[in-house]
Amino acid sequence: MSGSPETLVRLTDASVGYNGAAVLEQMNLEIRRGSFVALLGPNGSGKSTLMKAIVGILPVLTGKLEYPSGTPRFGYVPQRDTLDPVYPLTAFEVVLMGTYGSIRPFSVVKRALRARAMQALRDARAEPLAGRLFADLSGGERQRVLIARALATDPECLVLDEPVAGIDQPTTEAIIQLATALNRNGMTILLVSHHLATLRGRVDEVVWIAGRKVVGGPAAAMLSTDKLAEMLISEKI
Amino acid sequence: MDLFLEMFSYDFLLRHALYASVIIGFVCPLVGVYLVLRRLVFLGVALPQISAAGIAFAYLMHTLGIHLYPHQEEEQLMALTGSVLFVVIALVILASLGQGRGLVEGRVGVAYAAAAAGSILFVAANPYGESTLLALLRGEVLGMSLSQFWATVCIYSGIALGTLLFQKEFTFVSFDREMAITLGKNVMAWDFCLYVIIGLAIAFGVMTVGPLLIFGFLVVPPLAARQITKGMWPFLLISSLIGGLTALVGFYLSLRWDLPLGPTDVAVACVILGITAAGKAIIARFGR
Repeated sequence: MSGSPETLVRLTDASVGYNGAAVLEQMNLEIRRGSFVALLGPNGSGKSTLMKAIVGILPVLTGKLEYPSGTPRFGYVPQRDTLDPVYPLTAFEVVLMGTYGSIRPFSVVKRALRARAMQALRDARAEPLAGRLFADLSGGERQRVLIARALATDPECLVLDEPVAGIDQPTTEAIIQLATALNRNGMTILLVSHHLATLRGRVDEVVWIAGRKVVGGPAAAMLSTDKLAEMLISEKI
Repeated sequence: MDLFLEMFSYDFLLRHALYASVIIGFVCPLVGVYLVLRRLVFLGVALPQISAAGIAFAYLMHTLGIHLYPHQEEEQLMALTGSVLFVVIALVILASLGQGRGLVEGRVGVAYAAAAAGSILFVAANPYGESTLLALLRGEVLGMSLSQFWATVCIYSGIALGTLLFQKEFTFVSFDREMAITLGKNVMAWDFCLYVIIGLAIAFGVMTVGPLLIFGFLVVPPLAARQITKGMWPFLLISSLIGGLTALVGFYLSLRWDLPLGPTDVAVACVILGITAAGKAIIARFGR
């Protein structure tokens, strides 16, 4: 992917991983402001690791991670199964957490921020879920609530980790449509997924992750039959 | 009923013990909520035992002639220092070893076993003051002095204030650490604050009411409240209410039938847990 003045995130010769052991090495990657980027690759290839490094959850082991126009506000949507259902939180309380970045300790959540959280629920078409226990929601409903929480951060870049894994087709379509609509309004979208068919025609750029390497480019080229065959062969190698 | 009303009269001899156990009953569940939510219930068993080992160790040091405080305040302060020190060291070690799944229960289990063995060995090695020490390890709230009562009021007010003021931060970093990091929260610092509060609640509580009751207050009221609440504030407040109610009813029953206070309180808490669990099951079966 070529550099531009609109670059939001830049990785240069970067290695990322856990406890000092690299999962992905020598990556060069740029994410442009306003783009819709899909991170594709097989299970365990390091898609989520790369995403966590980009948003600052994991440190870069070697090389550089830069935010050329300042650290963007990330709206992070984790894999919903990582959140423990033992918490008796309502969906609204979960969404309200998205506003905590702008609240100091000791402070109460002001009315404006509560309104922002409610608006985020509406934007994610999850308003009727507000008063229900998060743990009692279906997979698709939880995903909407987590997207609403990410929107409540007022993000410049929405980062979704496997948002449609294990979700039925109509809900998958609705979530991808929501991401597309947000992108049309100027929000940068970074999405990890396995669903090639759903993403085709929606995303601008694709990043393939396989064999500890990262290859990126325009969606049309990266999702062409030849490229897919090439990536599948490299995964097997 | 007369006995119940008498408990609140000014000349009731055990009023400080009553108020202290009710205060601890109200406050410990506010802390225990996070042990339950973080699935660290077993830590709620191990830490009071570690605190008891600290008390036994401090008494042994005292008997061996190692003194840290003026003589008239020696015993209580030494015991308190031992309790706090052991709990804080254990928390630091357990936290620094991380919370990777699989081995965490093993580490806590080893800490519990070591602390239980240590408590017995420290008492066995101490030729003097065994009865006083055993009373402390059991938690003799009935023999509480006025200064101990006011210390309990101050410490537990601070703990309650800390858990309520930082509720949203503690809940956020416990529920979704990664999201908290992306929003610039210092999750290590918040974990440290929470562990210090848990450590203080346990260390002081074991000195006052003993390890069994502290574990009961930490864990059982939140488990009962979890059955019937929706939302974090209701969960915290109902847990606290159940803890306070347990302490009050337990004290009355203990007085009425001359029962040991700690086990009576725990039994009352378990009955409340049984009622809430049965109520939830009935509602789930027959609908609202």
